[in-house]
Amino acid sequence: MVQFRLPMLPAPNEVPWSALVNGNEVSVRIESNAILLDVLRDKAGSLGTKRGCDMGTCGCCSVLIDGVPRLSCLTLAQEASGCGITTIEGLADGHHLHPIQKTFTECGGSQCGFCSPGFLVVISALLEENPTPSDTEIKGAIEGNLCRCTGYQQIVDSVRAASEILVSGEGVEDSTAAKSDPHPGYGRN
Amino acid sequence: MSEDKDRVDGYRQQSGKLPFSRPGSGGSRKMSEPRDEDTLASIRGGGGHKHDDLVTGSAVGRPTALIDGRWKVTGQAQYGDDVRLSGELIGRIVRSKHHYARVLSIDVSAAIELPGVVAVATGQDASGRFGVLPVTKDEHAMAQEKVRHVGDLIACVAATDEATAREAVRLVEVEYEELEAVHDMRQGLEDSDEPIHDRGKYHIGASNVQKRVFQEFGDIEGMSTNAVVSHNSNWLFAGANHGFTEPHAVVANWDPSGRLTLYTPQQVPHYVHRALADVLDIPMHQINVHRTFVGGGFGGKSDPFPHEMCAAILSRKTGRPVRINFDREEVFWVNRGRHPSRIEMNLHADSEGRLCGIETDALIDGGAFASFGHVTTYYNGVLHTAPYEIGAFHYTGARVWTNKPASGAMRGHGAVNSRCAVEVGMDDLAEQLSVDPIALRLANLLPPHSATITGFRVTSIGMRECLERVREASGWDDKFRKLPDGHGIGIGCGFFISGSGLPIHWEPNKFPHATVHLKIDMDGGVTVHTGAAEIGQGSDTVIAQSVAEVLGLPLDMIRIRSRETDTSPVDLGSYSSRVTFMNANAAISAAMGIRQELLEAAAALTEAPVERLVIGDRRIYRKDDPAVGVSYLEALHKAQEDKGALVSSGAYRTPPMGRVHKGAGAGIAPAYSFSAYVAEVKVDIETGQTKVLKVWAAHDCGKALNPLAVKGQIIGSCHMGLGQVLSEEMKYSRNGHLINPDLLDYKIPTIHEMPEIVPIIVESNDSEGPFGAKEAGEGPLLPILPAVCNAVYDAVGIRTSELPITPDRVHRMIEARCKQEGVAPLDLSSPELHHSELQGVLEARASEHASRDAARASDPSPSDYNNGALFGFDPEIPADEQDERWVVSVTPGSDYMESPRLAGSAWKHTERRHRGDS
Repeated sequence: MVQFRLPMLPAPNEVPWSALVNGNEVSVRIESNAILLDVLRDKAGSLGTKRGCDMGTCGCCSVLIDGVPRLSCLTLAQEASGCGITTIEGLADGHHLHPIQKTFTECGGSQCGFCSPGFLVVISALLEENPTPSDTEIKGAIEGNLCRCTGYQQIVDSVRAASEILVSGEGVEDSTAAKSDPHPGYGRN
Repeated sequence: MSEDKDRVDGYRQQSGKLPFSRPGSGGSRKMSEPRDEDTLASIRGGGGHKHDDLVTGSAVGRPTALIDGRWKVTGQAQYGDDVRLSGELIGRIVRSKHHYARVLSIDVSAAIELPGVVAVATGQDASGRFGVLPVTKDEHAMAQEKVRHVGDLIACVAATDEATAREAVRLVEVEYEELEAVHDMRQGLEDSDEPIHDRGKYHIGASNVQKRVFQEFGDIEGMSTNAVVSHNSNWLFAGANHGFTEPHAVVANWDPSGRLTLYTPQQVPHYVHRALADVLDIPMHQINVHRTFVGGGFGGKSDPFPHEMCAAILSRKTGRPVRINFDREEVFWVNRGRHPSRIEMNLHADSEGRLCGIETDALIDGGAFASFGHVTTYYNGVLHTAPYEIGAFHYTGARVWTNKPASGAMRGHGAVNSRCAVEVGMDDLAEQLSVDPIALRLANLLPPHSATITGFRVTSIGMRECLERVREASGWDDKFRKLPDGHGIGIGCGFFISGSGLPIHWEPNKFPHATVHLKIDMDGGVTVHTGAAEIGQGSDTVIAQSVAEVLGLPLDMIRIRSRETDTSPVDLGSYSSRVTFMNANAAISAAMGIRQELLEAAAALTEAPVERLVIGDRRIYRKDDPAVGVSYLEALHKAQEDKGALVSSGAYRTPPMGRVHKGAGAGIAPAYSFSAYVAEVKVDIETGQTKVLKVWAAHDCGKALNPLAVKGQIIGSCHMGLGQVLSEEMKYSRNGHLINPDLLDYKIPTIHEMPEIVPIIVESNDSEGPFGAKEAGEGPLLPILPAVCNAVYDAVGIRTSELPITPDRVHRMIEARCKQEGVAPLDLSSPELHHSELQGVLEARASEHASRDAARASDPSPSDYNNGALFGFDPEIPADEQDERWVVSVTPGSDYMESPRLAGSAWKHTERRHRGDS
């Protein structure tokens, strides 16, 4: 029988872990050295939180811990135990996208989309704190996120557009509403 | 609901019998949503396009959000590593720690005994060769005899969880015999005791030369004698990685019916499909390749990969799904990025400011495998035979194997580095001639509908408009050579294929490039089956737009099914900037089939002749009497009466093109894109730091089907190009180790490095493009590199010939200039320009050519124009048929071999089959 132990790391033991992930209580057992990103992806059902580099360089794994943007790949799961965690899945309410989600698609903030979850949670925190950020504040908020497709310009456009929605107080349309009718107006007199 | 005597219940029973009195079929909205007449006018492009009659104003030409965007922003998009199947195992790969070694033995016994390990596979489990190009299949799933770079695959393991799999990898014992590795690409040109690959009878000498190209066209002897000024440079380009944010990941599942499904973020599912069949030795119909969402491709996910084979092999061994996902470090080991290159560039201009010759010698470092390299070797030369009319073209290229991660195709495939060298050379020629570099370019452009010196058929050309618009927008005339010291402005141009003219795996005459199927059922929604791979560039969206446009439907009625090889027609996928041109053309062709059926059904219902009917927004009506018409759904149901669902298939094939010399197929395309960028920079003279302040980026995409996506591509291309010119570099240590395989030290620009980009869309309305469109995905990257290099020259008077221009390199060059001129850095003066007499000559010629080009662009059947007319030849006949000094040669003569250039020296070797030995 071969003794199994990861080199350089202490042998992990299982510990209970619970957190409020997107408003839902998640209680699971994790290895004591588990990384938050792994727990979110493998045990808390948040496959929307992306793994890009495992070393805090790309920002794809960003989540909010008690409202503050954090890199989940550099966070021990135990550090977030008992906290409120918001991932990309927690931004929309099922019927209505968060304004930044809506404008991200409409302004071209997302191309391949892999970095989008990280950007979106970071921007949602920015807009929560400051619904009308300046360009410098927008840049400051997303400086830790890499995007290889958009060159960031349309991401900044998206933030400005989302800010306008927030300021106007308009809602985002219900995504379960009826779409265009192939036989317009029929039967709706 | 109000009482309405016209209200009808049970529509389905009364198809075609509703009292339609006006457009839009009544109801609460009496009219369907009105068409925006302004949009309609602008989307008709320059007029006279074959697709103009299909324009309904419903989709094309409008800034359109990507139709799959909402999956991405909600976290619901499934990328490679997000596919979770029940009972999955985690696969990990055992990789070589040596650059080059013979694998003497692999001991997997300790690994297989580890609890949780289910299977271990080695090269013995699959010995089949594969490779993206049929002519250079030099890869295996795992090492057969040798490992060829650090990170090369030796074995793979499948275990119940990742920690166990990683531990098992550590327990696999490999015994190596180290071989002498080749790290310097120049060394690859020489004979070796142990070449990295053996190509059998095609092996070139005993060297590591994988591919060599020699091409001479035009007045080779005359180019230096006719020249009044020449530019000579020797470039060194560092390798660049695609840097997509999603690391490779794959899931293989051998399902209960005995078929393999491979879930993979692939740009070209079809190639993996073929390669899997070869390697696993099973028929293709037993395999379904399921393309997941792709987290960035840029060419780096277009090869069939060994780890995809490994997942399939492990799944076959275990009978369970196997998932492999990469660390970022592994992404760099797989690489397929831009080739590190040494390029010698010589340009010659004659007394009239004509480009009488381009001489290029490109040695490119292929790394350990061939990948797309065969094509890259050609592209480094042949893709600068336009946009300028030239008197001679001499190209020698060679690609060598070295013991590095393989280079391959990356956005702007093969054209980026050599284009940078050409455009910097143009800037230098203008400097030497004392003329404005934009004027020099404008006076030397090929006209629309012309043939390049190598015989590429070029259709629409928006180059002139690109140049004029960036000159105007950037305020060029007030800035060039006039900005304060340390500030500069520069211009660069680009030229790129819009879809490779040759499908890799079949004859273009026998089988189309792209096929698209449509199906419409009773619900009225249109299902589109295409194999074009959506990789974030918006291919699903542009195909949906094309179909929606022809059928007059809103975009949300079009559903794209492009994921699985089981359901999509065979397609070459997303590379060579082919999707918009080829797949949208195929989609239009398919939609035209459906359109005809709808028109005939509407004709039967309305008793109007088919040719009088037009399709508007969800309605088909008489052109001359719009009140007479039926709704789309009615016409559809009528058309379906005999057949059930309507189906249609459309295809696109390229017209016959190009010449017949060896290698003539490389670089031909049904259309080409053009671009011109102006960059404004600030160089800190003391630190060497270059900051790009603003970029004006004009790109001729023929017709922007989705302007939002086109702008996104232009800005994104600038980002990637700025990375390569300013900071991105795959760094190898002296002993050949890749020292920055991570995103901390491989420096992709963050938002702070990004200047404002002003995207300018130029529409030349290509006669064969879908609604006039050409590519916009790769070409926009080309001009940014030289534009920045030329701006740096304008700022501080240093001409770089090494990329990236990191602060240390710029600082060294500034220091060298200071030493040479004996001045302190802050006393350096930036270059000045006093126009020579030639400036007026060029302006006059440019103005004459502008009217020539405008006339040719609007002429429905323009006369032939061959490169060479600028030098006094009859444009209708290739110059080499008019003057024996104009040569066409694809093998070097003995006189060349007396003093070959660097890459040209690859021709000193003889292929094994011609050596007469075994």
